[in-house]
Amino acid sequence: MGNPRSESNKGDQVKFQEELKDNIRKALPELDVVIGWCGSFDPLHATPHFMRREEDIDKLEISPLSVHNLATYLPGLRGKKVGIVVKGCDSRSVVELLQENLINREDITIFGFPCTGVVDQSKIKKALGGHTGNIEFCDMSESVIVIKSEDKAYTLPMAEMLADKCSSCRYPDAVISDYFAGEKIGNKGEEDADYAAVETFENLSVPERFGYWLKEFDRCIRCYACRNACPLCVCRDHCAAESRDPHWLSQENNVRDKLMFQVIHAYHLAGRCTECGECQRACPVDIPVLMFKQKMNKEIRDTFQYEAGVDPEATPPLLSFKMKEENITEKVW
Amino acid sequence: MKVGVFVCHCGSNIEATVDTAAVAAAAREFPGVVFATDTMYTCSEPGQDEIVNAIKEHNLGGIVVASCTPRMHEQTFRRTVERAGLNKYLFEMANIREHVSWIGKDREANTNKSVDLVRMATEKLLRNRPLYSKKFDINKRVLVIGGGVAGIQAALDCADGGLEVVMVEKTSTIGGKMAKLDKTFPTVDCSSCILGPRMVDVAQHPNITLYAYSEIEEINGYVGNFEIKVKKKATYVNWDSCTGCGICMEKCPSKKATDYFNEGIGKTTAINIPFPQAIPKKAKIDPDFCTKLTKGKCGVCAKVCPSGCIDYEMQDEFVTEKVGAIVTATGYDLFDWSVYGEYGAGRYPDVITGLQYERMLSASGPTGGHIKRPSDGKEPKNIVFIQCVGSRDKSVGRPYCTGFCCMYTAKQAILTKDHLPDSQSYVFYMDIRAVGKLYDEFTRRAMEEYDTKYIRGRVSMIYPKGEKLLVRGADTLMGSQVEVDADLVVLAVGAEASAGASELAEKLRISYDSYGFYMEGHPKLKPVETNTAGVYLAGACQGPKDIPSSVAQGSAAAAKVLGLFSKDQLESDPQVSIVDIKRCIGCGKCIQTCPFGAIKEMEFRGMVKADVIETICQGCGICTSTCPQGAIQLQHSTDNQILSEVNALCQF
Repeated sequence: MGNPRSESNKGDQVKFQEELKDNIRKALPELDVVIGWCGSFDPLHATPHFMRREEDIDKLEISPLSVHNLATYLPGLRGKKVGIVVKGCDSRSVVELLQENLINREDITIFGFPCTGVVDQSKIKKALGGHTGNIEFCDMSESVIVIKSEDKAYTLPMAEMLADKCSSCRYPDAVISDYFAGEKIGNKGEEDADYAAVETFENLSVPERFGYWLKEFDRCIRCYACRNACPLCVCRDHCAAESRDPHWLSQENNVRDKLMFQVIHAYHLAGRCTECGECQRACPVDIPVLMFKQKMNKEIRDTFQYEAGVDPEATPPLLSFKMKEENITEKVW
Repeated sequence: MKVGVFVCHCGSNIEATVDTAAVAAAAREFPGVVFATDTMYTCSEPGQDEIVNAIKEHNLGGIVVASCTPRMHEQTFRRTVERAGLNKYLFEMANIREHVSWIGKDREANTNKSVDLVRMATEKLLRNRPLYSKKFDINKRVLVIGGGVAGIQAALDCADGGLEVVMVEKTSTIGGKMAKLDKTFPTVDCSSCILGPRMVDVAQHPNITLYAYSEIEEINGYVGNFEIKVKKKATYVNWDSCTGCGICMEKCPSKKATDYFNEGIGKTTAINIPFPQAIPKKAKIDPDFCTKLTKGKCGVCAKVCPSGCIDYEMQDEFVTEKVGAIVTATGYDLFDWSVYGEYGAGRYPDVITGLQYERMLSASGPTGGHIKRPSDGKEPKNIVFIQCVGSRDKSVGRPYCTGFCCMYTAKQAILTKDHLPDSQSYVFYMDIRAVGKLYDEFTRRAMEEYDTKYIRGRVSMIYPKGEKLLVRGADTLMGSQVEVDADLVVLAVGAEASAGASELAEKLRISYDSYGFYMEGHPKLKPVETNTAGVYLAGACQGPKDIPSSVAQGSAAAAKVLGLFSKDQLESDPQVSIVDIKRCIGCGKCIQTCPFGAIKEMEFRGMVKADVIETICQGCGICTSTCPQGAIQLQHSTDNQILSEVNALCQF
């Protein structure tokens, strides 16, 4: 398949990519596998890449197509020595997994790099008129994406194609890493997270909000891609969605059960979700499921002044027990 | 499972507003129910026999009783079903009294709600499994926290009953508030004369280990097997060799240390023994005032001490004690009355608290028993007592009655007349609460024989007028304004939970009310128990109490401990959490959130899993709501059971 993308415009990127490969070459002999990204079935997509041998490293490619949060693989590989290449947002998932004792720090080698954002394939698909078959050529610079598909050329502004989470990103550099390739961009964790969209939504009336979700979830096909992509969904064979013991949800095809699953998912992620957006990215029917988690995180921030996945030593507020919480008033009567 | 349902009338308590026969009839239609009836008093002997007979006759596998709260009779009915040969956990209760009949008058709505509650209980019961208790050994030692009169009573009663007692007291002497009092109502006998011998008994009893000037650092374990970490605060004096001779006190040049025992009436030395009858009679250094400790200069006490026991390098020390039961007798503290602007908010030296006045009356107090105005040392002539300062006052968040202020104010008025025959006492009161043996007679005596002027009304203002204080208030019986030129004003300041009560409650894992007083197991039937097994209450930590009540509670708590220790083994409650190891992913979130430290990591086939220690688990269920996998479940309240109850209620 090859990759016809020109690399002329990305001198820096090439440089840190080579540095990153050198880092991996150094570390690989001690590791069972290093997970990164490489080219995929067409020039517009990347795919997770598992490097076990030296020659696998050459195929590693970092680009705005490196959308996947590879931390999702870590709990399943517990017990193995694993290297992982992380964007800033991915690194927060790693931190959260460490905090929750779901992976062992000594088994994990983290390779960071300065991330300038990844694309939202749904936005590209929309710009291409809802059709992304037969991509013949794709080239990306800082400002534009040039795509050729079925003899038509498209020039799309990069800023408009970036994922929503990237435009308001406060952690472009990995918050935790053993190796860091390239120049750090600088994290801005002290700034408040942007929950403007959630706030706007909160201002709607209850029937409006409920109506919105009933409509959105009408097209949910219960594929659970949102759950499978989530790095913090670790129940494996015992997910509430499918368990008959306890029987939280029926298997019926109704909107209420679909919505109920998302509510359970959001509650399970309260104070844990790092808003990597994998759930929403993985959704084949583009349901904005991330908003549930953002809403929970906003509440957690307001109640506990806590942000998930930043400090490996911190204890998530819902995983501790206090007799008295500063911002929760009991005995209101 | 064949289920039997019994709907109780509770006399007219339930039947008056619930059609119990209709509830029983509806229950007969529920899946699993083969027998349902209504009974007059299910808890009575014939009522219980009816259950036993029904189990045998209809071969029932589980019983639902719809009656009062489980806190009332769950144990009763569990024993009943056990008597009939069933496992006692194959029983459920639907509370149709407190939750239904007592709170609503609409008979039809009440009946419908009762049917719903019975349906929920039945659905849960169908998913109950037999549970079995485990037996475990107990350590027959008891910890008494607090060395006031309640704690002393509890400790002596336990020790006389043959138990080993560990007493931990926060201050450097036992005796508590009672040791500060001059006389006690209603007999006006000398407080230290009746308490002193008891304090000596504590010190000399072979079964009692006393840790004075110590605090509870940590409490682990459970009924029968508590492990207590005690912090012995640094006294800077080696108590093993200190003889309490008091030479250090005589020679100490820092004479401006706060005198906590004397409630700030007068000052004491940086190294001090709080009062002559202190137990243990050992000196300690107040590090805030000792110049050797603050500035590194002095060292006089070390030079004069004949037994060489001063140690400026002393550090806090920790000791661990293992006990099987705990009696909490931490007492009370006085309300901070300086919130009252009308009484001068603490600005006027001649407005003092009742406890300060008590120290002034005491022959061993800083004034040697002479009543003197703190401002100029003169004898007062007109003395005004104001009652209900920080009691029965919603505006300062203290709506409760402290209960003993009426009595001690009357006592102080009587003593004032004894000390100063020319004086005149005035008492501003709201109501006289003199409920108790010889109490009302006592307040009458203060009024009639000692000529104390009782004025029913509140004081609106105190302000200085020359050397005196002008007290302006209302006489609501006369309907007029009153002004008294007072030389001294004594405030009957109410009691509040002792400082640090809530922190200790958290260590003890017992609950407290919104004022910080500890909650008893049941307001009438379990006055000295708490809801944590093995932890008992005595004295004012449970609510303001006078000396007779505190002593009674101390003895009651001791009786409970002796009863608990009459067995060599205890049974654990099997309604605890259990881990499904195939679901557990070993993340340890349950371990982090468990407030009782009841969950430990274990290894299973090379994987980390959670493991519940049954005897420590209290069945609170926090772990079950934390575990994302649903791997940890409360055995008697599983997710499935809760869901089945919800489904029984929300049928659509």
